Amino acid sequence: MASYDVMPDVGLFQPATVDDALRLADRFLDEGWLLGGGQDTYGWLKDRAKNPKALIDISHIDELRGIRKTDNGVDIGAATTLREIIGDASIGRDYSLLVDAARRVASPQIRNVGTLGGNLVQDTRCWYYRRGLACYRAGGNICYADGPQAMNREHSVFGASRCVAVSPSDTATALVALDATMTIRSADSSRTLPAERFFVGPATHITRMTALEPGEMLTAVTIPPTWAGKRFYFEKVADRNVWDFALVSIAAAMSLDGDAVADARLVCGGVACTPHRLKGVERAVRGKTLSDETADAVAPLATKGAKPLNYNHFKLPLIENLVRRALRG
Amino acid sequence: MEIATYKNDVWGQEVLLGVSWELLWLVIAAAFVIIALHAVYEAFRRRGERPSSDGPRVKRHGAVDRVFHWVMAVSVLVLLVTGVLPIIGIEFAWLTIHWIAGLVLTAAVLFHIVRSLFWQDLKSMWISPSDLREPFDDSVKPGKYSVAQKAMHATVSILSLLVIGSGLVLFAMIDTPWWERTNSISEATLGWMFFLHGLSTLALIAVTALHVYFGLRPEKLFYTRSMIKGWISEAELDAHHDRSRWSPEDSASAGPAAD
Repeated sequence: MASYDVMPDVGLFQPATVDDALRLADRFLDEGWLLGGGQDTYGWLKDRAKNPKALIDISHIDELRGIRKTDNGVDIGAATTLREIIGDASIGRDYSLLVDAARRVASPQIRNVGTLGGNLVQDTRCWYYRRGLACYRAGGNICYADGPQAMNREHSVFGASRCVAVSPSDTATALVALDATMTIRSADSSRTLPAERFFVGPATHITRMTALEPGEMLTAVTIPPTWAGKRFYFEKVADRNVWDFALVSIAAAMSLDGDAVADARLVCGGVACTPHRLKGVERAVRGKTLSDETADAVAPLATKGAKPLNYNHFKLPLIENLVRRALRG
Repeated sequence: MEIATYKNDVWGQEVLLGVSWELLWLVIAAAFVIIALHAVYEAFRRRGERPSSDGPRVKRHGAVDRVFHWVMAVSVLVLLVTGVLPIIGIEFAWLTIHWIAGLVLTAAVLFHIVRSLFWQDLKSMWISPSDLREPFDDSVKPGKYSVAQKAMHATVSILSLLVIGSGLVLFAMIDTPWWERTNSISEATLGWMFFLHGLSTLALIAVTALHVYFGLRPEKLFYTRSMIKGWISEAELDAHHDRSRWSPEDSASAGPAAD
């Protein structure tokens, strides 16, 4: 596959307002490409595997940047950089889960320019797909990562439906655990979606990973106060500790009533095409005290229904062990 | 406009990807034009008085055949909706509903094949050379089925077998309660299966649209009623059929029993 050192011939738009950006997105639809920090974008362009007609650079739109406290919790603009989130004192105090997740995204340089929105809507890292092969996700009729001899060490163990790619986003797991809400705007409408429904699997949308339709833009993420200041746990296992995508990650939010767990959210990354909630574990851990015994008892529930591929059986004990570590006393 | 789409396989060789879904709009437009032309033609065509549905009844379709027809109708509609809506951009988790409806259709068709081979008059649905006079000569009346109905049956049979056959191959590509997906079918074979599946789907869309249209036409409505209730009146029988070519088993008194 050819790779190029220069940018392709592509139009660049740098709107100053969200409305202008949305008008451009509406004008170009599938042929437009919203550009935040560019950390997902430039690889696609360099490899010529995606060839948009227009880049719509939203990184300079003030409306899309910043962290604001509101009555509904905290609003984070989609173009807020991961570095800004990591450095925000209120996020660090109330929602350290998100900070921990953001801190594990790639490298310091990438976090300096990479945005929350970009991290959430980035495309899967399946190399068959990114290489430009005509797989299901690229509009074809086969999954190259699912073949008998396919290299699928990093691929899904849950929720495969023809495609076995996984969501690469670290912040997505944290935001699903925090019951965040996504604000989505288009040129003529606005809607909100729970984070859990924002990410969609291949059974529904095999060619994209989020509920964003052409012409729509994720403008903000709202974290409700529900989990503010609760007990959090985030851990990501990757081949390299710096600058790598999760083999498996876990984001956990727990509210405690005395020593017992009143409510919990446990979400795994790197195991499905969407952040994967461990609902069986969440139910089982309610009312129990956090301890090694509890962790050992409920951890096997985390892999119930898993269907590993040829080369990723290792993810099953990894998931269970991360659950154990999240639930230790 | 292309009939098929192509892609490069993993080795860089061009292989069939499937049918070109641009044809969908052509098929819909063609079906609409045919229906509109026929509706206009019928609006200006002089017809005699419609036979009464009152009076003695004869049995046209047994309960088993009616159940088969509506099971097939529902499964085909579900298959078309779940198969086509995602293609035109209305995306939802369609695959499970699609294959379940596909299995229902397959079971219904198998049942119908066995039943018609051993327990029904297979010849009543065959198109014979003498049937071909029917559309051009008003004095020629059909037996149980008109040549148009026989042609519809033959077309639907071929399309159903094509869509089921190709669908079963594609079925192996997904997880089911009975097996885990395989991914060892060659890309070229897959391309042909997707092509046949898509092409027969497109044809089924047109055929279904025409079938529904004719089923709802005022002068044909008694056939639809017979597919629901089982009977037609003797007056309808005499007006549209040749008793020498079709002798219904049950006569006048069988009316209510046919329900």
